Amino acid sequence: MSHYPEVVEKIVQDYLQRVGIQLKRFPNSDQEEMLKELGSHIYESYSAESDQDPVGRILEVLRKLGEPADVVAEKLQDSLLNVGTLKKVPLYVVGGVVVGMFGLPLGFAGVAMLLGGLGAMLGLVVAFFATASLLLITGVAGMGLGLLRMLNPELWDQLVAQGFIQVHGRIGQLFDLLSPATQGALLVFLFMAIAAAGLGMLWLSKRMLKGLRFVFDLMLDRAKTLLRRRRHHAFAWRTRPSSTLVNEVPPDEKPLSGLASYSTIR
Amino acid sequence: MDYLETEKERRVTQLRKGILELAIMGSLYSEHHYGYSLVRVLMGDGSLSLSEGTVYPILTRLDKEGLVRSEWVESDQGPPRKYYSLTANGRKLFESLMPEFDQLVTLVKQSRNGAKSRQNQHLGERILVKKEERA
Repeated sequence: MSHYPEVVEKIVQDYLQRVGIQLKRFPNSDQEEMLKELGSHIYESYSAESDQDPVGRILEVLRKLGEPADVVAEKLQDSLLNVGTLKKVPLYVVGGVVVGMFGLPLGFAGVAMLLGGLGAMLGLVVAFFATASLLLITGVAGMGLGLLRMLNPELWDQLVAQGFIQVHGRIGQLFDLLSPATQGALLVFLFMAIAAAGLGMLWLSKRMLKGLRFVFDLMLDRAKTLLRRRRHHAFAWRTRPSSTLVNEVPPDEKPLSGLASYSTIR
Repeated sequence: MDYLETEKERRVTQLRKGILELAIMGSLYSEHHYGYSLVRVLMGDGSLSLSEGTVYPILTRLDKEGLVRSEWVESDQGPPRKYYSLTANGRKLFESLMPEFDQLVTLVKQSRNGAKSRQNQHLGERILVKKEERA
């Protein structure tokens, strides 16, 4: 049974539908409970509104209730943090914190951009560490082979005969001209350089992480400032009296002389 | 001014959200409420100005944590209402949180008074220096 005039009913259903879309990731029972409760709230609030115009009344009710995305964002943040704490999955906790910190000021598109940036940076870091580790392992293994060539040439020859070690092409021909000890020393020297490169990369990783964090913080700070300003201007635009000119500064918004420096850092 | 106002607005919202859970528990301490009546108690006089929808996720969480209990009650006019009341655990938690909250308020007030007295001290020093310069 409908409690509203037809047009109001349509507006309410549209709002609840939008909330329902935002609630998709929650269990059905939670969705139904939340929608039922919001429906009850809307009715109570609508009945208490004094505006004679039904459409004006319901729009005022929904404005006070908040945007569906914002209402659900609160729930999403709680839910993710709860799930993370209960299941001890740090990813959920991080997700909850990310939504809480950035979802509300940036919107979900902002969160997606942020996560995309994080993913790209994570990929870079993983690739860097994988390369460093590979160089280090190759270097150590090669140095072992060099030592083997120097200290136990018979075993080396056996391994070559069995195909475990293969040296082809010009490098192979060049190697054959050298004595086993020289070959071993050359291998140790060469692979030591490779291992040193791996170690150097690991040593540099600390600085790289610092650099990436700086770049990320900078990007984030820029994005947050930009979006906050946009939202503030949008809010000011909606709430400004229609008679106010664009460049007109209301008397109470004129900058104070002591705060002039703020204009330079905005 | 834009910068100041935006920052102030953001921080005030955060502060309000921070104390909303405690305010909800306080409202449910001695009487039970359904969502809308709770919103009216919390935000009726405009002192805790937030989107009304923000109370529902908190109520759901408190319910799941066993700090409030809820039940649907049929209403004479309109759809049923979901009534909330504080459980024994919720009451205990609220009673233990209140002194903590009072301490925080006192801490903030004391730090402000401390800052004021330091400011006055600096002002006094500046006046003294000027007098000495004139002399």
